[in-house]
Amino acid sequence: MNAQTEELACLYVLDQLSPGERAAFEARLDNDAPLAALVLELESILEERVRELPQHEAPRELLARVEARIGRRADPGPERAVPAPWAAIARWGIAAVIAVAVSIIAVQNLRRPAPPADRSLLIVGLEPHQSTLAELPITGQPQSADARFVQLASLAEQYWERPEDLPVKMAPADHGGRGYALFDPGSNQGFIAIRHLPTAEDGKRYHLWVLDTSTGQIREAGVLPASDQARGLYFFSVAPDAAANPGRLGFFVTAEDSTAKATDKPRGKVVLGDRAF
Amino acid sequence: MPPAPNSDTVIEEACLIARMGVGDREAFRELYSRYSAPLFSLAVRMVGDFGQAEELVQDTFVKIWRNASTFDPRKSRPFTWSVTITRRTCIDHLRKRKHQPATTPLVPEEALAQGLATGETIRRSAESREDIERLKGALSEVPRNPRRALELVLFTELTQSEIAERLEQPAGTVKSWIRRGLIDLRKALTEGPP
Repeated sequence: MNAQTEELACLYVLDQLSPGERAAFEARLDNDAPLAALVLELESILEERVRELPQHEAPRELLARVEARIGRRADPGPERAVPAPWAAIARWGIAAVIAVAVSIIAVQNLRRPAPPADRSLLIVGLEPHQSTLAELPITGQPQSADARFVQLASLAEQYWERPEDLPVKMAPADHGGRGYALFDPGSNQGFIAIRHLPTAEDGKRYHLWVLDTSTGQIREAGVLPASDQARGLYFFSVAPDAAANPGRLGFFVTAEDSTAKATDKPRGKVVLGDRAF
Repeated sequence: MPPAPNSDTVIEEACLIARMGVGDREAFRELYSRYSAPLFSLAVRMVGDFGQAEELVQDTFVKIWRNASTFDPRKSRPFTWSVTITRRTCIDHLRKRKHQPATTPLVPEEALAQGLATGETIRRSAESREDIERLKGALSEVPRNPRRALELVLFTELTQSEIAERLEQPAGTVKSWIRRGLIDLRKALTEGPP
């Protein structure tokens, strides 16, 4: 590697390149493994220098202040769901490329201990009066939150892009098959894939709910982002419920008043799925 | 000082940022718990003032949250990405306010380190002290001018041409010193003391 390339790598790591130079350098990184490895190594040196500084704890109340800012509705950052379907899909590229990054960083670290616990993911169709449900047994997988998330996200992306891979047959979107949920009861996270949903009326917004049909308990899973798109893949999470019966879960979407304060139970009209089952 | 991250940590943190990209607040809190001290310390080093550093780190974490979906682990390590956001935030602030450069911090670094000025808790384990000594040893292996150029780039708002002016050297020489500073530091850390 010549000195000029090495200098570019240093300036890149130190954020000293112009936007144009930076973009050109990043394009090179995609196809130049030794250069990518050098960048990662230089970054680790830079990190070490930063971590060597005298350390001060951030004030305790700082986290609450940051969370207050990112939680404001005016904040354009992600809330409990993603703002646009294409963005949701693009993000799963991140999950997929983590493996690529790992291969550059250190292959041996892929060999993580994997507890042999069994678990299942649920797929629940959202056809009114005809909800379908399938369990996907996952055995011997890593149980860390990150590993579960990547696995869930990868599956969600796969099914979204190739619906024919779904283990249950869904009706076409124009024949009642308007969506499905992929849910991990272990982490209480999931994705809702919406294949057809009308734009919310003025003053309304769509809320996603999880229903335990064995107890009737309902948990709020977030607000779908305002969008004029009829379809999209959205992440959601719900509060844990130790008493929930994973085999008896249902999902539905209601149109709630957007001016209403925090909603703890559905009051509006069901627009997707079935509240009664 | 937190221990230098190993590859497992890098993977975990990349996953945390991916989860944040879809609105996972738990992942955000976890990343905050890992990064808040080093990023706050970096901001303190750059602006030399605890109050301003606090505001800037607040802005930094909001930016981290907003931009999580654009993070690409092929192009950067998670902590480096966060450091870059912090540095840019501090640099913007310093340039706007024409703040005194961090080479002469408002509060002497030794005082900050000992918590004399603020009573802040300094976390230093025996292991981290070893890391610091190792890095200090490595830094001493880097010739003075490249080390100075590197520190000015890292911890001040100065542009390369301003650094050149300050060091009374041509811009090309400064660029070369910056490269040498980082490469020499890498060599010293990789090969250990002579």
